[in-house]
Amino acid sequence: MAIDVAVLLSAGRHPVSGRGRRAPGDHRALEMALGLSLPRAIHAGDPSAPMLGDYLGMGLDGVTVLDVPSDADPVPAFISYLEAAPPDLLLAGCRAENGEDSAMVPYIIAEALGFAMVPAVAEIVSIDDGSARLLQALPRGQRRAITAPLPLVATVDRAAPPPRQSAFAKARRGRIDIIDAVAPTDIDRAAWQVRPARQRPRRLGTQVSRLSAAERLSALTDVPAGTGRQLVEPTPGEAAQAIYDYLIEQRILTPPAKAKTKDQSP
Amino acid sequence: MSPVRRDPRTERKRSRSWTAEPAAEAPLKTIDDPACLVFAVPDLTDDKLSSHDRDMLGAARLLADAQSGAVVVVAIAGEDDFAAAGADRLIEVGGDAFTGYCPEARATVVIAAMAQFSPRHVLFPDTPTEGGHVGRLVAARLGERAAGNVQHIDGTAIERRGAGGSLDYVMAAPRVLLVAPEAAAPVSSARFEARVIAETSAEGDHRLIDGGLQPIDPHAVPLAEADFIVAGGSVVSPWDACPGAAAAGGATEGASRVACDGGAMARDRQVGASGTLVDPRCYLAFGISGAAQHLQGIQRCQRVVAVNTDRHAAMVKRADLAVIADAQDVMAALADLMEDMRRGD
Repeated sequence: MAIDVAVLLSAGRHPVSGRGRRAPGDHRALEMALGLSLPRAIHAGDPSAPMLGDYLGMGLDGVTVLDVPSDADPVPAFISYLEAAPPDLLLAGCRAENGEDSAMVPYIIAEALGFAMVPAVAEIVSIDDGSARLLQALPRGQRRAITAPLPLVATVDRAAPPPRQSAFAKARRGRIDIIDAVAPTDIDRAAWQVRPARQRPRRLGTQVSRLSAAERLSALTDVPAGTGRQLVEPTPGEAAQAIYDYLIEQRILTPPAKAKTKDQSP
Repeated sequence: MSPVRRDPRTERKRSRSWTAEPAAEAPLKTIDDPACLVFAVPDLTDDKLSSHDRDMLGAARLLADAQSGAVVVVAIAGEDDFAAAGADRLIEVGGDAFTGYCPEARATVVIAAMAQFSPRHVLFPDTPTEGGHVGRLVAARLGERAAGNVQHIDGTAIERRGAGGSLDYVMAAPRVLLVAPEAAAPVSSARFEARVIAETSAEGDHRLIDGGLQPIDPHAVPLAEADFIVAGGSVVSPWDACPGAAAAGGATEGASRVACDGGAMARDRQVGASGTLVDPRCYLAFGISGAAQHLQGIQRCQRVVAVNTDRHAAMVKRADLAVIADAQDVMAALADLMEDMRRGD
């Protein structure tokens, strides 16, 4: 069964040079989509941007560009375009590298189209019977399995497989279809004050400013004391049981009964 | 000059705890007639407030105090000391709908509470799959323009990072805020009421089916990100049992500096000041006595279990559970026990 996949592609920005490039979230989304079928690629912005070639060079026939000015809100243009031909699966990066970077675009589109929404996908395991089995990336390298009904919007995490290289010849051959879109100017944003990001100092071990200097120093350098339960000279079996019980009690390990039911579930 | 010399060292009180726990006698602050309400929706992962949750509550406190408002914690399936964390009011949400991963049900509950109490601001911790996701669902459903990645709060103005981390936008605080870690200091100087104003339970309306956490290869996880670490010292030899214990418990392996120098483990597995600073939920140390540099490496560990023959080792003092026994034997016994339990004997 061929599934209709669409990918939202945004213009990236190199953090050091400031030059345009593929956005790191979006090229992973495109890589994931290319593994499923030949996707529809959609970009809102300047159709003459050179970075579109970087996406085309990954193996796309063409990119649909909704021609909106850079200071406009692209979301209404996306919604009206996608409502005309809704895809089964819409993929996007977790956040943009330009503009407001609120990570709200996929959410607003999902809400407008009535799609389910899954954030931070690391892998698409399978798609069948109108539902998708996904792996979601969690902190600490953990993965959560999620089954979600189609149609679906998913954002792709940076833990997803890295993208293929962009080929120059494919980028030359690729087609750019320009669609004129109506985009309202972003009025709210004009009221915001913009300044270069300033790195804030990381917080140190203590937060209470009314402590004395000596106490603040000791808070940073002292070894925290444990709660100190001690087991003196047990047999190895007893010791192992005590450690095992502690790990279960603190929910570091899953108790075996629970683990068993988990194994049996599909 | 007075004839008796004072020794200031004898008069200095040593702080016992490294984190700034609010003292038991912290003054109780009550807000009876708030001008507005500020909702704070913590993740309550593991049913407890995380440090990110506490930072977010600190941010809610700042916004509420600037507008003589009250902080309302929407506690979805979890309990903690919300009074010490800065909650004036509490909305308790329970029910079976909130077992497992249920962002849509959470968003529905928050929207219902917002309709009932019409808060001026709603704050979430900006975590990618939990608070940040629920907050964005709420904002999208209500058509609110959320401010994500909020870095700083100054009165009612906020500073949020955008454009791939290259620009800061300063604006008036909108209705929905997604707060970055360390955007505000957690509340520590006072206790608040945490008076329960509503108790609800909700039906689930989720379209997503949670398949649970998947078994992962613990060695693919960098040591700095590991959740559970089993580490061995120089006395541990041969090293066969340590991987056994680690694998059976799904833990990542670590080692002390001496063990790495001896070639028992790769250098990227070294825990300590010259290796990796780790912050797992649990650190299980076999035969590590606790050099200062090693203890520095595990300073942020939440729980430490130590197995050592020396009752006076620094690691034993640091441990939450200390076993005074031979590390080698205990390690082998633990590996067997875990393997048995996993097979379900």
